[in-house]
Amino acid sequence: MGLMNMPVFSALTDKMRWHQTRQGLLAENVANAETPGYRGRDLAQYDFADRQAGFSSAAVTTTATQPMHFSVSSSEGGAFGAQRMANFEITPEGNGITLEDEMMKVTTNLMDYQAATSLYQKSIKILRTAMGKQA
Amino acid sequence: MDFNSSLRIAATGLHAQTARMRVIAENLANADSAGKAPGEEPYRRRIPTFEASFDPSVGGKVVEVGRLAYDMSDFSSRYEPGHPAADASGYVQYPNVNPLIEAMDMREAQRTYEANLNVVTVTRQMLGRTLDILRG
Repeated sequence: MGLMNMPVFSALTDKMRWHQTRQGLLAENVANAETPGYRGRDLAQYDFADRQAGFSSAAVTTTATQPMHFSVSSSEGGAFGAQRMANFEITPEGNGITLEDEMMKVTTNLMDYQAATSLYQKSIKILRTAMGKQA
Repeated sequence: MDFNSSLRIAATGLHAQTARMRVIAENLANADSAGKAPGEEPYRRRIPTFEASFDPSVGGKVVEVGRLAYDMSDFSSRYEPGHPAADASGYVQYPNVNPLIEAMDMREAQRTYEANLNVVTVTRQMLGRTLDILRG
């Protein structure tokens, strides 16, 4: 039985992947903070209860046989489903990004990710202790 | 979308703001560039435009600097009869560059640049945390 098949690790890995995807979307939002007509995107809140069924399911990907092919599953927010944000304000040029909000989200994302990696490390330490090895 | 994509997207943001800064510098440097002879147009202010485009190699929307548009607003004119570019009534046409607007644009570019830089820093910290798992 691999490490990834243990519920704790698969749940944490999934959550870390969620944060990784979110970081990409937030980077998009910040980079396009002044692009006319650009509306920001974000992921729906991560919910362990919702994701439980998906922990063991393998993602389906399309094969890229040419360099110009789009990878369908990994792009556009991946398995988590990127959605348009409900913007608080939209500038006259049609841009819906508030830089302050995005910075807050980036920081929150970092802190939650750190929490997930810490839990991951702790779980590994617990396993080591169980095996009788002093960490 | 992995962390490297995030870094590359943020890098395009930095790149776009750098290009914008260059245009602002151009405008400010030429704020007083009048024509050489009467009837000759002075420097015309330029405006950078941004476009969001999908980059398949990154798997996300990056930002690109689009066309450098010309500001078609009126030139200002000053009464300087001794100037080589003065017209019959003694007026010289000066560029439609407003230093105040340029200074504001510059601030905005700086802030957006910092925001993108912040994304790079945070993404690097997240990458670092991932590597920390290896150390156990």
